[in-house]
Amino acid sequence: MTATPLTTESPMTPAAPAPSERPRHTARWAALAVGAVIALLVGVLATRPPASDVVAPSPILGQPAPEIEGPGLDGTTVRLSDLRGRWVLVNFFATWCIPCVREHPELVRFSERHPAEEAVVLAVVYDDQPSDVAKFFAVRGGSWPVVDDAGAKVDFGVRGVPESFLVGPDGIVRTRLVGGVTAEGLDRLLRKAEGR
Amino acid sequence: MNALLGQSAVLFGFLAAVSGATTTVAGLVRRRPTLLRRGLAHVWVVLGAAVVAAVVMERALLTHDFSLKYVADNHSRATPLLYTIASLWGALEGSILLWALILAGYLALMARRFRTRADDPLVGWATVTGLAVATFFFGLMLGPANPFREVVGKVAADGAGPNPLLQNHPLMAFHPPVLYMGYVGFTIPFAFAIAALATGRLGEGWLVETRRWTLIAWALLTAGIILGAWWSYEVLGWGGYWAWDPVENASFLPWLTGTAFLHSVMVQERRGILRVWNLSLLIATFSLTILGTFLTRSGVLDSVHAFTESPIGPAILGFFSVVVAVGVGLIAWRGDRLRSPGAIDSPLSREGAFMANNLLFGAFAFVVLLGTVFPLLAEALNGERITVGRPYFDRMVTPVALTLLFLMAVAPALPWRKASGELLRTRLQWPAWTATAVVVACVASGLRGLGTLLAFGLGAFAAAAAVRQLVLSARRNGWRGLMGRANGGMVVHIGVVVVAVAFAASSSYGHRGEFRLKKGESATLAGHTVTYLGSRTVQHPNKRTVVADVRVDGGQVYRPALNLFPNATQAIGTPSVRTTPSGDVYLTLIATPRTDGAPAVLAVIVQPLVMWLWLGGAIMVFGTFMAVVPGRRRRPTEPASAPGGARQAAPPPEVGHEPVRVPVRDVVGAARPAEASGT
Repeated sequence: MTATPLTTESPMTPAAPAPSERPRHTARWAALAVGAVIALLVGVLATRPPASDVVAPSPILGQPAPEIEGPGLDGTTVRLSDLRGRWVLVNFFATWCIPCVREHPELVRFSERHPAEEAVVLAVVYDDQPSDVAKFFAVRGGSWPVVDDAGAKVDFGVRGVPESFLVGPDGIVRTRLVGGVTAEGLDRLLRKAEGR
Repeated sequence: MNALLGQSAVLFGFLAAVSGATTTVAGLVRRRPTLLRRGLAHVWVVLGAAVVAAVVMERALLTHDFSLKYVADNHSRATPLLYTIASLWGALEGSILLWALILAGYLALMARRFRTRADDPLVGWATVTGLAVATFFFGLMLGPANPFREVVGKVAADGAGPNPLLQNHPLMAFHPPVLYMGYVGFTIPFAFAIAALATGRLGEGWLVETRRWTLIAWALLTAGIILGAWWSYEVLGWGGYWAWDPVENASFLPWLTGTAFLHSVMVQERRGILRVWNLSLLIATFSLTILGTFLTRSGVLDSVHAFTESPIGPAILGFFSVVVAVGVGLIAWRGDRLRSPGAIDSPLSREGAFMANNLLFGAFAFVVLLGTVFPLLAEALNGERITVGRPYFDRMVTPVALTLLFLMAVAPALPWRKASGELLRTRLQWPAWTATAVVVACVASGLRGLGTLLAFGLGAFAAAAAVRQLVLSARRNGWRGLMGRANGGMVVHIGVVVVAVAFAASSSYGHRGEFRLKKGESATLAGHTVTYLGSRTVQHPNKRTVVADVRVDGGQVYRPALNLFPNATQAIGTPSVRTTPSGDVYLTLIATPRTDGAPAVLAVIVQPLVMWLWLGGAIMVFGTFMAVVPGRRRRPTEPASAPGGARQAAPPPEVGHEPVRVPVRDVVGAARPAEASGT
């Protein structure tokens, strides 16, 4: 839209006064050009999926998920492979990350909607203090397993938080989600994945 | 009962808008003044319907009518009164209702203002445009954003309550309505721009008519943006006030094009050029308000504010396309015939500076828009959504903003048509010395950072230039002469400088620390000592709050808190801020002690000059007020205050440096030429 001011500027900067005998169509062409650019923009906007459904590419899609292993909140060892047989949403997060804080209630809602035998969230701590993480969960709720495995972000190719991966009951990585998720978006995704 | 009444009111408003628009079109086509007058009168029916709908919604909220889905979703019995009233705009459907109400109010003001000129086709087309926009918003409420939808099944005894973020600070009651009044206010200038294109009367008549509307809308938008920044600072708890979030950008984009318009319109008034450009800016501003609504309400982008994923996206995008198609089509059709006769004589002149200003604001808007939609464009091109964050905006926006500050200093010193070096030297000497002195003082007191120092120096330059103008004007005309557009503009400039300096200082010289403190322990950050004194839990009807007592610098005790709302699993912080003119100490409680005697986690943010952001905003609004007011006082009926007779009734000359004022205005066929005075 801002293209309007930029491109229609031509009518206002006639370097030399236009010779009045020959009509010029600067405004028309500028307007049409702007119109075309905006039509493209509208086309792009109209075909975008909701942000909550945005699925990002990753080399590990369709591959067996790399193992995640590390101490959980209570000190016992948590492994991704122990969760085999159900859908796992591997959620990389940090307590200092505002989008993660915003995303958290959505994850709570998601975990409340699905029995643990069907789908679970596995939170992977990303550059954070275990004590902060414990407080985070104490204050904000959520009872899913949390694991501190510094190597996991490299194995999964995580660029920033929040980032999530949906791992199938067979241990295959199905989807990568960059940015905050919503419970509705995750449900849609799960339904789609189960349909396959 | 409420549902029936509300839905009927919305339907009634929709039909009135449709009927008013068609009647007016019929009157325009058949040239029947009676039909035009009748069409304009429909505006009052639309206003009545909007008022009834809003009152019904407020009544439903206040009487806890949970049979309405909107009330059940956004209200609870425990919600305090202020937030109950504010719940009208707490969620999507209600904000569309507020939008429709404000729009109807503006249209009614327009009908009142032009009641004696209803026969004028220009007013007729403006009415059609305004009512068409109203039709769209009432239509939204009939379809995808129906605020009066009833709950299916059993009516609950209590509702969910407002979004926790929205019931946590009284500013929430003011920020959205003020912002919307700014947003929606641009509809009237847009309507007149469309009318000017439709009638082909592209002279300055319509400009003079709408100038005050634009100024008022701009002031409200400015106030709304600043209030939003303030709300975000006081509520969100990350210590910042501006994050280049899509919603913030959505309100900022029309502000940028609107600001560009307010400047370039002066060139048209004075010189009669840039007509098509000015129309384009108005159309762009209005389109950007609609595009912004789409970006923030359709759930297509991640944002702090896009609280709901809603089904109105396609409708708004469709409306945006229609608006753009009409605007672009009209300009393509009329633009070349309406090209102005004049040209700019010298780039080193007031009009040259205004043009540079417009290019910069255009570039600014483009950069912001690109950054906002970039994730979507990138995804369309290579399938991956890449977000550009703060670094992109900081890198791209800083040079533009600094150049604008420079221009702000130089432009008011430039005369129209052509400047001589000699003249500039005398006029800029004093501001330039002030700027140098400020930079030297800053460096001497140990401040570093090229961009920040430049911002301070150029800010001082611009502020000194503005003060110089004001002093000259006061000397010439006395204090009463200070009111008026040119001086109001200078006051706005001072406000902008204050905001820019505060922005630069607070974002460059801030400190942030997180401390785990047991009862009685202290921590020090950037020269400030905070002592944690303990915390307690307070139960409110609508929330449970954990309050920490923190002593700052051995003085007063501040109370950051964490709020637990029953309808949210996430705790919402209430930061506590010690505000002084020199800077803020911002405290947030990150984590509460789990047991007595366990440490609490506090985040402490020390930022200089934050308070001046809000004050600068207030100065900007006040300056706009100064610019709006004089027309009222300069009616020809007051001979004493209308020195040049009726033709001079337009606001007083730009602080008159020019010995002779050349009123080059070619009023092309305006039915009643620019008799600019009052409402």
